[in-house]
Amino acid sequence: MLKVDKLVSGYGPMQVLWEPSLNVKKGTITSVLGPNGAGKSTLLWTIFGTVKPWSGKIYFEGRDITFTPPHEKVNMGMTLVPEGKHLFKGMTVYENLIMGAYRKEAEEKLQENLELVYTLFPILKERAQQKAGSLSGGQQQMVTIARALMTNPKFIMLDEPSQGLAPKIVLEVFETIVKLKEEVGLTILLVEQNAEASFDAADYIYVMHEGHFKAEGRPEDIRKSKEVREAYLGI
Amino acid sequence: MVGHQLAGNLIQGLILGAVYGMATMGLSLIFGVLKVVNVGHGAFMMVGAFLALSTFKLLGLPPVLAVPVAFIVGMLLGFIFYRVAIKKLIKGPELSSLLATFAFGIILEEVVKLIYGSEHRGYNWALGKFSLGVTVVPYTKLIAFVGSILVAVLLYVWFNRTKAGKALRSVVEDSEGARVCGINVEWEYALSFAIGLGLTVSSGVLLTLFIPVGINPYMGGHYTLKAFVIAVLGGLESPYGAFFGGLIFGLIENGSYLLFSSFPSLEPFAMTRFFSFVMLLIILLIRPEGLLKTK
Repeated sequence: MLKVDKLVSGYGPMQVLWEPSLNVKKGTITSVLGPNGAGKSTLLWTIFGTVKPWSGKIYFEGRDITFTPPHEKVNMGMTLVPEGKHLFKGMTVYENLIMGAYRKEAEEKLQENLELVYTLFPILKERAQQKAGSLSGGQQQMVTIARALMTNPKFIMLDEPSQGLAPKIVLEVFETIVKLKEEVGLTILLVEQNAEASFDAADYIYVMHEGHFKAEGRPEDIRKSKEVREAYLGI
Repeated sequence: MVGHQLAGNLIQGLILGAVYGMATMGLSLIFGVLKVVNVGHGAFMMVGAFLALSTFKLLGLPPVLAVPVAFIVGMLLGFIFYRVAIKKLIKGPELSSLLATFAFGIILEEVVKLIYGSEHRGYNWALGKFSLGVTVVPYTKLIAFVGSILVAVLLYVWFNRTKAGKALRSVVEDSEGARVCGINVEWEYALSFAIGLGLTVSSGVLLTLFIPVGINPYMGGHYTLKAFVIAVLGGLESPYGAFFGGLIFGLIENGSYLLFSSFPSLEPFAMTRFFSFVMLLIILLIRPEGLLKTK
């Protein structure tokens, strides 16, 4: 569904990505693991288009989207779930969700998607009229995921969904991510520092270090490989 | 007697303050969305003033009819200016966009000077006046007052009730968040710049109803400074804050005029300017986030 070929990007004169290539199969969860500063978030934001690629290619469902602007990618059914701090904090939870259904196709499916979101996150229905900024960290993360679902996507990318959350909440978030694959039929690419949680949820794993992919494989293989774990994941 | 005079001055101040408020909404909108300070603000108001003059003198139409025209002209200037300069500069250091707006202001002043010359020009649009007991208000000023309030209300409704307005609000809240919702953030930037200048140019039309000495291409600098004081009063990023800031500024300006004119050795008109900037300094020192900002 998503294919990345030797992607290079960075900020100003600083190169962050050093030609990683990856392939995300339809209906799977692919996880990119690695320590802080490995370039995982930059990888996602470059695929999404907020960070401009310097070279390399990005394909989505066979189409070259290397230089497609972000809002058009959302139109194609791709979106990104940023960390919780990228909510519209001054708006209510409900208003946040409605903003997710901004584009026309998403607006047509608004009721349907709103029901789906409220089934996945019943707490958001209770808190619908509360300001998003007043929610707990875990709930804010739920709102960002829910807002992404409101765009009616086929493919979503998650930027460190476990960051700053208590272990119990992390578990819940990952259960939800698996549900998104199995019950909603989404294809998912997520980047994480939390290796253990990803091992359980992911179908395929890439290990990233200083802008390179150092290893890839099925979670059980990565888990078994002592050298990969010690060298790059610190576990 | 002094009480009467003060009441009269305050009413005049409130009326002029509404126009000041509308004039500053554009400045605050542009700063709120793009974090760009439009130093050429007054020059854009001047363009509106000349549009009003031309509508009246060349076409013989009431100058208020120039308001929608000025809004469109302002938006066009906004889109052009955004495309040629601001778009590339918003990611750079603040000084570069500041210098660009300064330069654009100078260009506008010189272009208008080429067409109209640099002497003061005025027009006389009179519709009669009515008395409020303590003061007399010309109907033209009443129209400007009501018009400014109407524009402020329209902007408020657009921002809070329409889909396009909410999209812009979401960009102000979090531009990355807006992007992942499928909002074209670059377009929202261009649009808010254009609307901001549309508001500014059309406020220049209404302003001409308050300037007895007439207008000239260099009239703007004075209003740029006032707009900065008002924007700071209103909390810088909020167009509605700016509108109320304008009302307060109008009251203070006209109220202090009366105060200063009671000292025979002072020139009251100059003193009101002095007083405005003392006020700006004090606000910046004690509440740098602006007087009306809630957070």
